[in-house]
Amino acid sequence: MIALMNALIRYATSSIGKKQIVGLTGLMLCGFLAGHLAGNFLLYKGEGVFNAYAQFLTSNPLLPYIELALLGVFMTHIGFALWVTWEDLLARPERYAVRRNAGGRTIGSSTMIYTGALTLAFLLFHVTVFKLSGEAEQHVRGLFGVVIDCFKSGAWVAFYAAALLGLGVHLSHGVQSAFQTFGVNHEKLTPGIKAAGLLFAAAMAVCFGMIPVLTKMGRIG
Amino acid sequence: MSGMKLTLKIWRQKGPGAPGELRSYGVQDISPDMSFLEMLDVLNEQLIKLGEDPVAFDHDCREGICGMCSLVIDGRAHGKDSGKTSCDMRMRGYQDGDTIAIEPFRAKGFPVVKDLVVDRSAFDRIMQAGGYVSVNAGSAPEAHSLPVPYEKAEAAMDHAACIGCGACVAACPNASAMLFVSAKVSQLALLPQGGPERARRALSMLEQHDKEGFGNCTNEGECEKVCPKSVKISSIARLNREFLRASVLY
Repeated sequence: MIALMNALIRYATSSIGKKQIVGLTGLMLCGFLAGHLAGNFLLYKGEGVFNAYAQFLTSNPLLPYIELALLGVFMTHIGFALWVTWEDLLARPERYAVRRNAGGRTIGSSTMIYTGALTLAFLLFHVTVFKLSGEAEQHVRGLFGVVIDCFKSGAWVAFYAAALLGLGVHLSHGVQSAFQTFGVNHEKLTPGIKAAGLLFAAAMAVCFGMIPVLTKMGRIG
Repeated sequence: MSGMKLTLKIWRQKGPGAPGELRSYGVQDISPDMSFLEMLDVLNEQLIKLGEDPVAFDHDCREGICGMCSLVIDGRAHGKDSGKTSCDMRMRGYQDGDTIAIEPFRAKGFPVVKDLVVDRSAFDRIMQAGGYVSVNAGSAPEAHSLPVPYEKAEAAMDHAACIGCGACVAACPNASAMLFVSAKVSQLALLPQGGPERARRALSMLEQHDKEGFGNCTNEGECEKVCPKSVKISSIARLNREFLRASVLY
């Protein structure tokens, strides 16, 4: 048992172990995003179907445990990512006076911590408005009504669009990077993984982002 | 002889931990056929004649195989030519009147010794942690007794091409030495001779890498762009697999 604990600590404190934990939790969160988006698509089916789905989710007795697990995955992803970033900052105490990228970096790869922070800020607002406020229970049109009311505000729509663009940029590097971190790199597979990662990132940004925009335009509601 | 006139902005630092600054120097009569280091030799001859301290920079073979050059030229490790060390780069890529900024490799694991010279003994300590094969020395074995497939031998050689210059660290936004460690781990992991110590090697070399204060690889891919021996980032993927395997098995 002690040997196992030591091995786990050695793994989780090593540079590759930390990255693999960030990568694994990141891919788990991608799975969550896909599931969340599938639920969001029910908004197009109208008030009845969407509210029934919301009711189905909230009435599940396992929900608090699932939410706790999800919170754990988020916290692990954020915590280890901050740890890695902090060490990376310390690894170069004196910066270059002239810095030129050699051609490997992308907008996504060089802004992970910023797009991650933007996504977290967005998430805190999002959960507060749609979950913690309890408005869904009081609203005459349920959770569907909360969505419609929220996206009447142009500022909210703009904030959502910006945050989801940030999420897309984050995923544009994150998805393919997670595969590389787990050692999946092959001349045949890697171009496909990179393309799929970009496609997933774009799909998440566009499909999630369309909802506030279409609601504001009156196409949902 | 008439050649190019250049302005050099060179990092000058008297010693370890001393404050440093970029200082401007003019050089002239630079032939396009000179190597970058020969151009620095011209500058140093000028400085010596003026009674000034010449610019300290590392060099040895001057033919791209020893890994001693440690210059970041205009923000890029080893300069603008891909697949080359600074000593291998010719001045023909520059125009008369150009200004060139020259800085040392920068990383916590590579402290500056003087001017453009950095201490890369961290790489030696990483090698000492596991970059070897323990075998009973004796006469060379019969070649057919240990067959190595052609593709594996070639791949091992691609990794063994790493000269340990540290340009990967200099170029990495996180000052990570993962490309170096991965090349050294991979060259042995691919061959049967490296098999018995494969797991222990991956763990100990990575542990030493982390101890030396190098950063974490975030798959930015800058390292492979500046590597003078064109070691690819797929090498780091192999190290990641080796590490995962070793963490489970060892």
